[in-house]
Amino acid sequence: MNRRDLLNLAVSVGTASAVLPTIAHARVELTTEIHQIIDTNVSLFRWPFRRLPLDNIDGLTNKLRSLGITSAWVGSFEGLFHRDVAAVNTRLTNAALDRPELTPIGSVNPTLSGWEHDLQQCATAHRMLGIRLHPNYHGYTLNDPRFSRLLNLASAAGLFVQLAVSMEDTRTQSATMQVADVDLSPLPAVLEKIPAAKIQLLNHKLRSPLLQQLGSHPGVFFDTARIDGTDSIPKLIASLPSGRVLFGSHAPFLIPEAALIRVHESDILDETGLRSVLSNNAKQAFRKAMV
Amino acid sequence: MNSNLTQLGLPAAETLQSYRIWDSYFTPSYSHPGADGSSKVMADVERSLPAIRKGHFEKLCWFPHIGVGTTTDNDFEELVQKKPNIILKPFERWPTLLLGMIQLNANNVSASLDAINRWLRDGPMLGVYFPGGGPSAMTCTHRNFHPLIERIADLNGVIMQHTWFKTGGKTGPAESTPAELAQLAARFPQQKFLCAHAGGEWEQGIRAVQNSPNVLIETSGFDATAGFIEMAVRELGAERIVFGSHLPSRSLGTELGKIIAAEITEEQKKLILGENYRRLLNKE
Repeated sequence: MNRRDLLNLAVSVGTASAVLPTIAHARVELTTEIHQIIDTNVSLFRWPFRRLPLDNIDGLTNKLRSLGITSAWVGSFEGLFHRDVAAVNTRLTNAALDRPELTPIGSVNPTLSGWEHDLQQCATAHRMLGIRLHPNYHGYTLNDPRFSRLLNLASAAGLFVQLAVSMEDTRTQSATMQVADVDLSPLPAVLEKIPAAKIQLLNHKLRSPLLQQLGSHPGVFFDTARIDGTDSIPKLIASLPSGRVLFGSHAPFLIPEAALIRVHESDILDETGLRSVLSNNAKQAFRKAMV
Repeated sequence: MNSNLTQLGLPAAETLQSYRIWDSYFTPSYSHPGADGSSKVMADVERSLPAIRKGHFEKLCWFPHIGVGTTTDNDFEELVQKKPNIILKPFERWPTLLLGMIQLNANNVSASLDAINRWLRDGPMLGVYFPGGGPSAMTCTHRNFHPLIERIADLNGVIMQHTWFKTGGKTGPAESTPAELAQLAARFPQQKFLCAHAGGEWEQGIRAVQNSPNVLIETSGFDATAGFIEMAVRELGAERIVFGSHLPSRSLGTELGKIIAAEITEEQKKLILGENYRRLLNKE
């Protein structure tokens, strides 16, 4: 039994029995049991601009557990602004030490001198499975040669890369700290040169044709955290090759219940589809992370 | 199997039913109802029904276009002026589920006053909606609002004003902020106003209406940012918060999640999810 199995919870899905007189027999019976939920987009520590109800690790892990989330891939809010990235990653690793449900994802900022050492530490000293990038907060574009070099090195080290396209709606950011979403348009060309790279786009709101363009690369995956609309997650899944959409909540900045409900509220996904987006796709995409 | 069974983020059906959810901000085909006046609305209501059922909603209020220039489609505007009852088809299809508040055009006071009489005085609409974009948007501090508010108040109508506080400033000059709604509300202290989206950037939105007791905030229209409801309850009181779903362009998860996951009491959730709105509509 591995550490994930220890935390398997059973979750029964969406037993709704609305009694709306104008909706004929409006009763939905769906008793699918989801034994494993992997949240690929969680962060630890303090959001710099506001206290969040779940910005304490015990509160966050208790909440995730109560929702049936058996594994959370956690980055660090500190990675946005701190320049002592080594200390950021050490604190993250330590926070996850006694919490087997947390998989730490390191921060790397390729605009800082010595970032290669941070990357190496993530792979070797911390034995992390992936890293998380914030190009818009760190001030580089995806055309930057340092980004390509980082992707190459991460790929060679067996690390998957999470790229946070945004952290907050640009309309609600602090007036003194406005950060545009990452421009993903250079990414397809970059990936053509690094075919082994595995990259997951977090907090994106991608649309056609760039969505399909990125989806055509077998190493690109997508999360669900900011995909809104009652049927938008099934539509996202349908618009991409199989296995590319991974559940992510962006907790604790966003409310994790919101992300979970959005996956199934339209009743479009069947049991297989739910299992895929909630856990199987993550396991298959980043197999090493689940060992 | 763990005993902590959940419904993937949703409370138990019995709990949802106990909330008696009335949705103040349902947006089926929000910008255009379809050339015939209803087909796109009907399709979007159908599209929303799984979420409506899962949330155990009792009622949802949407905002019909009634021919006063709230769309850019002249053919539709002419059609609905000639045949106003075409907008009623969704209400006929879902008579116990849907409520309505007409979209008004403060740029056209005369037509809007006629519409208030036609749809509020004579029914079945319960109030009005002032949009924040499109051809009919106008900043709510404009004097054109005054005769409209007076007439709506005469008829005990409810007023929903679209608001946003956008970092970097307004997208268009006709948008309204919660601070501007607070100015309007100060002129009409006996009239209640709904501040749609709590300004989007809700930390500023809540502060802007804090000292306007006749302004209530509506909860939809932005990401499910944690801490919103907790701050609103702390600063305004649960009695001044009204739930909206923004379905189907937003989601049950995002919008209901804000309330059910908030660290507030069950009684406060009931107020926000339905009781406050029913009181505003005199439907208690």
